Amino acid sequence: MSPDIVFEVSDFVAVFNQTIEYTYPSVSIVGELANLKVSKGRWLYFDVKDDSASVRFFGTVYNLPGPLEDGMRIQVRGTPRLHPQFGFSVSVQQITPVGEGAIKRAADLLKAKLQTEGLFDAARKRPLPYPPQRIGLIASAESAAYADFMKILGHRWAGIDIVHCDVQVQGESAPEQIINALTRLNAEAGLEAIVLIRGGGSADDLQSFSIEQVVRAVAASRVPVLAAIGHEIDESLVELAADVRASTPSNAAELLVPDKRAVQAMIAEQLRIAQNTMLHTVQMNQNTLSQDVQQLQARMQHCVTTHRSELAVRRQVIHGYDPRRILAAGYAIVSRGGSRIRSITEAEKGLSLQITLQDGQLTAVVTDVHKV
Amino acid sequence: MENMATQKKYHQLREELDQLLAWFDQDQLDVDEALKKYEAATKLADQMEVYLKTAENSIQKLTKQK
Repeated sequence: MSPDIVFEVSDFVAVFNQTIEYTYPSVSIVGELANLKVSKGRWLYFDVKDDSASVRFFGTVYNLPGPLEDGMRIQVRGTPRLHPQFGFSVSVQQITPVGEGAIKRAADLLKAKLQTEGLFDAARKRPLPYPPQRIGLIASAESAAYADFMKILGHRWAGIDIVHCDVQVQGESAPEQIINALTRLNAEAGLEAIVLIRGGGSADDLQSFSIEQVVRAVAASRVPVLAAIGHEIDESLVELAADVRASTPSNAAELLVPDKRAVQAMIAEQLRIAQNTMLHTVQMNQNTLSQDVQQLQARMQHCVTTHRSELAVRRQVIHGYDPRRILAAGYAIVSRGGSRIRSITEAEKGLSLQITLQDGQLTAVVTDVHKV
Repeated sequence: MENMATQKKYHQLREELDQLLAWFDQDQLDVDEALKKYEAATKLADQMEVYLKTAENSIQKLTKQK
């Protein structure tokens, strides 16, 4: 039996850390969260335990996926370390809720927190351009969600410029990749919408989309975000923070662009309505014009008829003035010195009068005057 | 038919006719003059009749065109 190696305390801590760093540079430990404590709003202390053991962890609040509470089952990745003063702990790199119950509980806590901040308020929602000319797409190029979205989009509306960020949509690196993609697409010029999609999966598969940093990145996006994560029944916090939520990736394509055939049919229908309206207007004007012309003709005819009646009256008057007609009936015109005599008071015995008959004139002398 | 420029308007014909008819209302009537006036009035009435007939024909022609 070899004799024990005797270390100075500092040396032991150094050797221990060197050995553990070499053997287990990074460990992932699963267990129940206990004694969670946040110090000075920044430092994070908690234990992860099972029935017979407990391990102490140290980190910062930035390592939190969202609000957590004691009793939740979590998986923590970190670096084991023996601190010269505070003893053994694992420095946290990433914390992930484990199991459907824990994931849901963590999501509920984060949802309540972000809801209080107003991150999901309807007033924050912005409409998407319809249809957009240029979009950003965050999806895994290998996924069925990506294939479905591209297929439906191309089928409905061609010619959209798509800037695609191929990201992992589950696993440890997914949140960081999604956040980086959002940052990159927000720096792109001319993007009108960002589409964030992922197909269905377990609660564990989808939990990257309910991590606080990811949800905040979506809410903070300068470009409006359309999100479709999982199936319709799955509710990720990213979808609540997005401007528009689609039930599936295919539905996202349907919400983003119209169906070109429906648009063509609508345009054809509008054209038909416009043609009918124009035809109707022309017909109405033709009818009005025809009525106007008829009215004009009727008035003109009335005018002619009225004048003809007046003329007939005048003809009767003219006929009455025909001197030959009067004289032919046996009447005579009696004059004295060119002036007509109408009464016996204008004549006297011995006066010479001119008498005009139908065929000539004669001169007569008044021999007697009798009043009738 | 008379040239349009020299043709009298209907209302001018009517005024002339009315003046002729007014002449017959005076006391001193010369039969020869009355005969002349009567013939002139009849001629004016005939002209007016032609005028109205022409107008009526024009209206009927336009109506048929429609």
